[in-house]
Amino acid sequence: MQTRDDQDKTKFYKPDSRRFLVGLARGAAGSLIFGLPMLMTMELWFLGFYIERYRLLLLLLVNIPLLVVLAHRIGFEETFTWRQAFRDAVIAYGIAIAMSAAVLTLLGVVKAGMPPTDILGKIAVQAVPASIGALLGRSQLGGQNDEEAAEEDKKKNRDMTTSYGRELFMMGIGALFLSLNVAPTEEIILISFKMTPWHALVTVSLSILIMHAFVYAVSFRGAHQLSQGTPQWHAIVRFTLPGYVVAILISLYVLWTFGRLDDTAFTHILMSAIVLGFPGAIGAAAARLIL
Amino acid sequence: MTVTSKSGNVEASAPHWLEWATGIISMLLIIGMIGWIAGEAIFQQQTSPAFRSEVVATHEVDGGFRVEFEIFNDGTSTAAAVEVRGELAGPGQPTETAETTFDYVPARSSSKGGLIFTQNPSGGVIRIRAVGYTEP
Repeated sequence: MQTRDDQDKTKFYKPDSRRFLVGLARGAAGSLIFGLPMLMTMELWFLGFYIERYRLLLLLLVNIPLLVVLAHRIGFEETFTWRQAFRDAVIAYGIAIAMSAAVLTLLGVVKAGMPPTDILGKIAVQAVPASIGALLGRSQLGGQNDEEAAEEDKKKNRDMTTSYGRELFMMGIGALFLSLNVAPTEEIILISFKMTPWHALVTVSLSILIMHAFVYAVSFRGAHQLSQGTPQWHAIVRFTLPGYVVAILISLYVLWTFGRLDDTAFTHILMSAIVLGFPGAIGAAAARLIL
Repeated sequence: MTVTSKSGNVEASAPHWLEWATGIISMLLIIGMIGWIAGEAIFQQQTSPAFRSEVVATHEVDGGFRVEFEIFNDGTSTAAAVEVRGELAGPGQPTETAETTFDYVPARSSSKGGLIFTQNPSGGVIRIRAVGYTEP
């Protein structure tokens, strides 16, 4: 009698362990493509030693369920279970840690004589965006051989329902990814200091407008349509506005993680969140199209 | 709920009430945020940065004494590159100065820092003040 474990093994290792290796390589490529901009950002290296440890820990833990849901969403096997999703997420996290360590060593940012907490902190901060990249790499760079292309087609032709909560979750991942890219840089707070409240008001309206246009108006592949007879404002209230709130909340979380909100007045907290919410909103909208 | 099919993604036409509830709460949050910022835009008067400082703690460290302090900006403009000088005047001793620079002291917010003196500050008088800043 075969157990589920055996079935997993035959499916993934026996017929072709090469496929697994190709998957690993794709993950590594993805973590490089999505992670390099951050691996080469000075502020993120510094964060490695000054980020408060409990905030770093929280970020690392929050990343796990996020990866699992993402893996479950983009896994292309027909019978994709949560267990497999968990395994994929762990592998992606592992690839991301290895790639971050390798690139930081290559760049001379991590050296032998440095204190271990500093080295670990630097790698850990980088591993979060890189792990999202590793998972995306598997799905977006895939479809090279015929067998997989056929599977992709099958997946495309199959009707897929996305629950409302999941939809918001995906937007959160998109917003987090883009926010992590820019949040550690000093520019975000500098911009919020340079902006007047009027600038902020325009930024809010523009973020919401762009977000809506991205998903509904501009005809990208994967763009969303409204069923006939549904007025435009339905989608704004049900999807775009909650999406924007998600993007702002993610911005606040990321800014807090990097210690940008400490001892700051409420108005400035809001202004920084609005500045970071701009790329965040675009990330959220992009996630709805891609994922 | 969204259905992804061959013809692209189509939003469900009969959504769950929860979707509307989330939408309405989001709308209220965004209106609240816009309202707050608009209030600031209309009613807030632009005032220059105004600094005051407070000594938080003094510790003995290698080669001197560390004085931790907090600097507040009560103005509604943010100051950048804020140079802070501390002067320690003790009885029968020459006045000792120590300096540090803050990248930013945001409007109506505070930043923390430290100055290191060689003499023990407990016997003397410390004066910590901002001596210059730039606009961000």
